[in-house]
Amino acid sequence: MPRHIGTVVAVFVLLAACTGDEEPGQSSITVQVSGEREETAVYRAIVQAYENDHPDTQVRLIEVAEKDDHLTKLATSFAGGDPPDVFLVNFREYSQFVARGAIEPYGGFVDDLDVELGDYYPAPLEAFTYNDELQCMPQNISSLVVYYNTDLFEQAGVEPPRAGWTWDDFRAAGEDLTQGDVRGIGVEPSVIRLAPFVWSNGGEIVDDLEAPSTFTLGTPEAREALDFLVSLAHDELIPTEQELAAQDLVTRFITSKVAMLLSSRRETPEFREVRGLNWDVGPLPIADERAGILHSDAYCISSLSGATETAADFVSYATGRQGQSLAALGGRTVPSLMSVSDSGAFLDPTQPPSRSEVFLDGIADLRRTPVIPTWPEIEDLAEEILTRAFYEPGYTIDDAIEALRAETEALFAEGSSQVQ
Amino acid sequence: MKRWARPVGIVIACGLFVLPLLFMLTGAVRLPGLPPPDGFEWLPDQVRWANYSSVFGFVSLWSYIGNSLFVVAIAVPITVLIASWAGFAIATARPRVQKVLIVLSLVALMIPLSALWIPRFVLFKWLGLTDTLVPLIAPALMATTPFYVLIFALVYARIPASLYEAARLEGLSPMAIWRRVAFPLGRAAAFAVAVLAFTWHWANFIDPLIYLSTEDRFTVPLALRALQTLEPTNHPILLAGAVIATVPPVIAFLIVQRTFFSKALEV
Repeated sequence: MPRHIGTVVAVFVLLAACTGDEEPGQSSITVQVSGEREETAVYRAIVQAYENDHPDTQVRLIEVAEKDDHLTKLATSFAGGDPPDVFLVNFREYSQFVARGAIEPYGGFVDDLDVELGDYYPAPLEAFTYNDELQCMPQNISSLVVYYNTDLFEQAGVEPPRAGWTWDDFRAAGEDLTQGDVRGIGVEPSVIRLAPFVWSNGGEIVDDLEAPSTFTLGTPEAREALDFLVSLAHDELIPTEQELAAQDLVTRFITSKVAMLLSSRRETPEFREVRGLNWDVGPLPIADERAGILHSDAYCISSLSGATETAADFVSYATGRQGQSLAALGGRTVPSLMSVSDSGAFLDPTQPPSRSEVFLDGIADLRRTPVIPTWPEIEDLAEEILTRAFYEPGYTIDDAIEALRAETEALFAEGSSQVQ
Repeated sequence: MKRWARPVGIVIACGLFVLPLLFMLTGAVRLPGLPPPDGFEWLPDQVRWANYSSVFGFVSLWSYIGNSLFVVAIAVPITVLIASWAGFAIATARPRVQKVLIVLSLVALMIPLSALWIPRFVLFKWLGLTDTLVPLIAPALMATTPFYVLIFALVYARIPASLYEAARLEGLSPMAIWRRVAFPLGRAAAFAVAVLAFTWHWANFIDPLIYLSTEDRFTVPLALRALQTLEPTNHPILLAGAVIATVPPVIAFLIVQRTFFSKALEV
C-alpha cells in the first residue's frame, strides 16, 4: 500500500509546482475587488491600462462576485497573514480594517505621488479619513436618488420629480402611481435610506458622528421622518412583505411594478440593459433642507503588503484621470475626481438616465453615517427593527425607536471605544 | 396506514424535489433581457437554447469545469480509500477502542467548518499552497468528512465477524483482509461514498473562495456565484449555468446507481 501514498504525495508536489508564474525582475501586486460583471470589467480595464503603462509591474486582479464573499475572503486572508496588496471597500465597512491595523494609510504616499487631493470631492475624502489620516483613496461618490419609471408616470399623469419637491409631493405622487399591482414607491427599511429623511427634517440619526453612543431617533424631527416612511409602508404605497418575498425591489422596478425606487448610482448599468424599460432619475424629496447620503468605495492598501509603494502607485493611477475615466464609462460609478465627473465620460447624454447631473447636484448636501468598526453590525440590527416597523402589525414607531436604542447600545459603546 | 398512502406520499415528496429542477430547466431557455415571470412559468413562449452557449461568454466555464473535474478526479478516489481504511479499522477494533473512535469521529463531525477556515488558511499559506487546488483536494486525505468513515464502519461492522476470523486464521494481514474481504463485500458503501464525495467536492464553494485568487484555477461554484450577480433579467443565463453545473454529478450518479443497485442487493 505505500505505493498509493507515494502517488498521492507525488500528485501534491506536482500540483504545488504548478504555481508561481512570476517572472524575475518584475514587481507584482494583487488587487481584490467585488462587484457585478459590468463593475469588474471596469477594474479589469484599469488593471490592463496600468500594466500597459508600467510594463515591469504585474497586477493580479482577484474578482469576488458578492460583497459578503469579498469581506469573508478579506477577513480570512488577513487573519491568515496573506491579504491582497490592495482591496476595495465601502466607507461603512472600512473602519473595522483600520481598527485592526490592517490598512497602510494612503495619506502617507500622497506627497511622493504628487496627488492633488483638492481635485477630488471632499465628502468621500473626509469619510475615509480616520484618526486624522487619509486611510484609503475613494474612487467614487454617489448620492441617493429617485429612479422613476417614465411610462408609469405618464400613464398616471404624474409630474416627474423636480428639484425641491417636498415629502407631500412625493407621497401624493406615490398615491397616484399606486394602481392595480403597481406600487408607487420602493424604499428599503434601512438606516441608509432613513437617514437622509431624518437629516432633511432637521434631525440627527446619532448623537455624535465621530464617537456615537446611541441612535437619536426619538427627537421630534427624527421621529417625524421615521413616521413618514413607515406610513408609506402602512398605506401600502410600498410593496408589501409578501410581494417583496416574491420579487425584490429592483426586480419589481424592472418589471414596472414599482414606479419610484430610491437607490444610488449602482442600479444604472443594470437598468440600461433592460429592454423596454423607460426610466430616469430625480432628486430626493425634501422636508426643510436638502440632504443626501454618501455612498463611496475606496482602494485601501494592506499594511501587510510587501509592496506598499507599488500598491500606492496603482491606487493613484486607478483614482487618477485615466482610471476614473474608465470607471465613468462603465456607468456604475460617479467618479470622485471632479474633472472626470463633469466630463462626457460620466454625463453621457446618449445613455439613460438623461438627468445624470442629479447625481452631481446632490453632492454638496451629502452627509454620512458614522465610521466605527461595529457600524455594519449596527446597520444589520437596525434593518431588522425597521422591517418590523414597516410590516409588523401592532409594532409601533415608539417600539422601533426604543428597540433601536436598546439593542444597539453595546455595539455603539464597543465601536466608539476603538476610535481615538 | 392506508395502502394508497405510501405511493401518494412518495409522489408528493418527489414532486417537491422535482419542481425546482423543472423550474431550472424551463427558466434556462427563457429569452434573456425580459422581465422575470410572475410566478411559475411551465414553458416560455420563446425557447432559446443559445442561453447555454451564452454562459460561456459570461464566464470561462470550460476552465472552471476542468478544474472541478481535476479536483474530484483526485479527491474522490482518495476519499473512498481513506474512509474505507478508517471505517475498516473502526469496525474491526476491540469494542472499547471502537467506542472511542466512533465518539472521536462524531466529535470531529460536529466541529463547524467555519472554525477551521483560519487555521487551515494559515497552514496552507505556510506550506505555500494557497492559490493552488491542493487545499481543495487536501480534505480527501482525511476522508473529506468523518461521516463517510462512519458509513464504512457501519457497513463493515455488519459483515459477520466469523469471516474476518476465518481470513485471519488463513494468515491474511489486516490490509489483505480489507482488500479481499471487507472492501468487496461492502462495495455498495464505496459507491455511495463516491457519489456523496463527488457532490461534496463538486459543490464546495467556501474553499475555492478563500484559497483561490487566480481565475485560471477557479472551480464551478465560483462561476455560479459570478452568474448570480447578473441582473434578474439575465437569470436565464444563470439557470443555464446551473443546468450545466448539474450535469456532471447527475452523470456520476447514473454511472454508479446501476452498479449500486445490482451490488447492493447481493450483500
